[in-house]
Amino acid sequence: MSRVNTVLGPIPTEELGLVAVHEHIGYGMPGSELDTRWWRSPEQRYEETVPKLRQFHEYGGGTFVDATGICNGRDADYYKSLSAKTGVHIVASTGFVGGDTALPFFARASVEYLAEHFIHEITVGIGNTGSRAGIIKVGVSRGGRMTDLDKRIYRAAARAALTTGVPILTHLAIDAENAITIFNAEGLPLDRVLFGHVDDGVNADKTRDTWIAEQGGRVGFDTFGYETELPDPPFWARPRKERLDHFLRFIGQGHLGKVLASADANCSPLGWPGVEGHTVNYIFEDLIPDLRAAGLDEAAIKTIFVENPADFLTIQH
Amino acid sequence: MGAQTAEDTTGSTVNTVLGPVSAQQLGVVAVHEALLSVVPGAEYGFDVTIDRAEIFQTLAEKLKDFRRHGGGTIVDSTGMFHGRDVRLYEALSRTTGVHIVASAGQGPEEMLGGYFLTPQTNPPTPWPAEKFADLFAKEVTEGMVVPRVERRGAAGLVATAATLGGMTPTDESLFRGAARAALTTGVPVSIRYGSDAVRDLEVLLDEKLPADRVVVGGLDRKDAVAAGAPLQVATRGAYVGLDHAGTEDDAHITDAERAALVAGLVEAGHGNRILLSSNATGVAKGHPANDLPYSYVLTTFVPLLKAQGLSDEDVQRILVDNPRDLLSVR
Ligand SMILES: [Zn+2]
Repeated sequence: MSRVNTVLGPIPTEELGLVAVHEHIGYGMPGSELDTRWWRSPEQRYEETVPKLRQFHEYGGGTFVDATGICNGRDADYYKSLSAKTGVHIVASTGFVGGDTALPFFARASVEYLAEHFIHEITVGIGNTGSRAGIIKVGVSRGGRMTDLDKRIYRAAARAALTTGVPILTHLAIDAENAITIFNAEGLPLDRVLFGHVDDGVNADKTRDTWIAEQGGRVGFDTFGYETELPDPPFWARPRKERLDHFLRFIGQGHLGKVLASADANCSPLGWPGVEGHTVNYIFEDLIPDLRAAGLDEAAIKTIFVENPADFLTIQH
Repeated sequence: MGAQTAEDTTGSTVNTVLGPVSAQQLGVVAVHEALLSVVPGAEYGFDVTIDRAEIFQTLAEKLKDFRRHGGGTIVDSTGMFHGRDVRLYEALSRTTGVHIVASAGQGPEEMLGGYFLTPQTNPPTPWPAEKFADLFAKEVTEGMVVPRVERRGAAGLVATAATLGGMTPTDESLFRGAARAALTTGVPVSIRYGSDAVRDLEVLLDEKLPADRVVVGGLDRKDAVAAGAPLQVATRGAYVGLDHAGTEDDAHITDAERAALVAGLVEAGHGNRILLSSNATGVAKGHPANDLPYSYVLTTFVPLLKAQGLSDEDVQRILVDNPRDLLSVR
């Protein structure tokens, strides 16, 4: 039986449909909850979020993977209500976006404790929500090199992935040598890891995407839509054509089976202004039309958005 | 008496979780305690249970014990990001009759969330003093944050701390921000110093915060006592927090030494600058609690002071008048 954990319970892989593999209902750095400038009422949150998910569903979107880490405003009860009311499957993460988003309790924890925590959230549930995490988030702290804490989190994630069969999604794919060393040492097959953000404007040049694919890792072009053409682009934006060309070039090198794509958009950001006009629906409104215009056939598009994510997300036994 | 004369606090008020209270009504104050103490992030730990009813019962019993032994006011000095639960404290205060003063502030650096240390800017520059000042001051003027829900009550002080190994640049921003928030709002600052109590105090004074708006806590640490810091802090006019009464470990002096230290400061004319507390953790999550009752100073430590020859007036000044003067909003 093939299954994937969603916030409303396990679903068969066959039901995932088109997957947005790296998105956020709402992301905020830990501590941002203390700063009232970012607060919105629950009415505003639903108002900003529900139409985007409904639109995603109407476009044919099946599953929204929320890549928000433990201390970043992840809110499984809220995701449950959104999923139930919009019909979009939502997969929640355990793990951390990076060591610099893990609060002191976890920053001080041992690899063993972190692994136990991740496994609990995957097999028992997140807090008392009953929602089981379907993916493990890890990442590289600001600064470009994995910190000791980042490494402990990667190692714990590898152990939890091996124990539970749930895959790992990384924030940033820089310093991948260190990441792969850890995964290899723990015996985790690299096709259980999606090395994300290989396409972002700050790090694309420093990211060894081809090498990662050659090692067997999956490669995430998952910041589509953060473009320098936007009226107020974030610092990680990149010219639209440059990113698209990068993606097409990578696929052209024979890596279609390794790629996943997403928009990393916030439905309603929790601790930052967000990027006006950028939503998960970039996938339908811009990216897929761009891929078709570039000559990709429907089978290739299905591979990227349906088959690869299904392989990746399916719990391994 | 020492060079400092107490402010006239007749008409002053203190910010408690149930609103402003006349400074004259505080009674005996424990100036550095913890009600609910949660290491940031522990609330998400899979094996950490947070049962509000159970926490309430535990804390209510401890507060009633404090009151039974003559206590009037508890200051929760854990700041705004270490388990502070304003609504719970309101209910506790209503139920037990103990005044509860809660604190704004946070620190040291390692206890901060990434929002303050590696913000989503390029480069990720840590927060400067001015932003901390605004964050802390609003906790007094607009109310204490219940994260992403509402503001409630007004913080009665700003509590912060420096890294044990020595003040970091972000710690310094926290200290300067705390000082500025205290200047604009009139509440005092409570600090835990890093490696040098006097130097860390100077950072606040450099912001033109009057010394008598500051309590330097943890001055019953062995290293501080060895360096003569308690007397130096008192000489500068700040309050000397001897706030680990009941703790005798590698880092702290014994109760007997603590009592002798108090007597020495009184002798030197600094009786109006001494504050006592026990740093009791009412309920701890994510770290070990100590088993001290909030009444420890009243039941166990005061007799040691009397044995040192302190008068009832001395004790009254330390337990009632000094914290009243400190906590009065200026
Ligand atoms: Zn993301």
